[in-house]
Amino acid sequence: MTPQQAFDQHHQAVYSFAWRLTHRRDIAEDITQEYFLAFIRAPHRFDPAKGSIKVFLFSITRNLALKQYRDDRGELPLDGSERLAGNDPRESIAISSAVASAVASLPHLQQEALILFEYEGVTLEEIAQIVGADIGTIKSRLHRGRERLRRILAEYRKEGNTHGTVR
Amino acid sequence: MEPFDNDELTEQELDAILPDWKAPVAPARLRAALFPELRMPWWKRLWGASFRIPLPVAFVLVILLVAATWRWAIPRDVPVRNDLQPVKEISLRIIRNADFKN
Repeated sequence: MTPQQAFDQHHQAVYSFAWRLTHRRDIAEDITQEYFLAFIRAPHRFDPAKGSIKVFLFSITRNLALKQYRDDRGELPLDGSERLAGNDPRESIAISSAVASAVASLPHLQQEALILFEYEGVTLEEIAQIVGADIGTIKSRLHRGRERLRRILAEYRKEGNTHGTVR
Repeated sequence: MEPFDNDELTEQELDAILPDWKAPVAPARLRAALFPELRMPWWKRLWGASFRIPLPVAFVLVILLVAATWRWAIPRDVPVRNDLQPVKEISLRIIRNADFKN
């Protein structure tokens, strides 16, 4: 696969993942550019025997995003301590902003697992490879993340989904 | 029938809401930045080429340039003698040695 082909096939996924992790377009752009520059300079670093291109690209993107976080904000809380979201979702009008804020309010490890699974279509096995954890841990992170989102986003329940719900 | 419990979404409701958070499209300039040779002829690339130099080096270069310009532009103080005039007529006179024999 040439660097151009790799870029055409995967740059949107790298950019989306970086944007969802950092919530900033400029940083997402920098990360995407940095990733593909590294790929252009050393394409041999991708070894299909070690995993799919998806695993490779999300692993590198994750590392670059983590590096960016650390450069900007100091050490990232990876142990489950919660970060505050930029906006209070209750004040947000758009559901999109509310979801973004709610996801941003998750602990980082839950956040990345949820983004990879829900938005990037990565399987549990692949997420486990990307973040270097076992599948059980990933399932647990996803479960806890979704549980928290269900509470935070309760007031943004879509009209169609409320009717006819009976306890 | 009890009133709907509003405190938490169901899994299905969460699944319906999550896709509303859409990522922006990656800017087209990314491709141009990574693969500039694909879009520009060589002379355009040459025209747009640039390089980075450290600020102290740039500072020294500017000082050298200013000094060279100043030295070239301002004439040096050459002493001028006003008592010297151009020669109007050249007359040759041959002085022979006293021992000379024709």
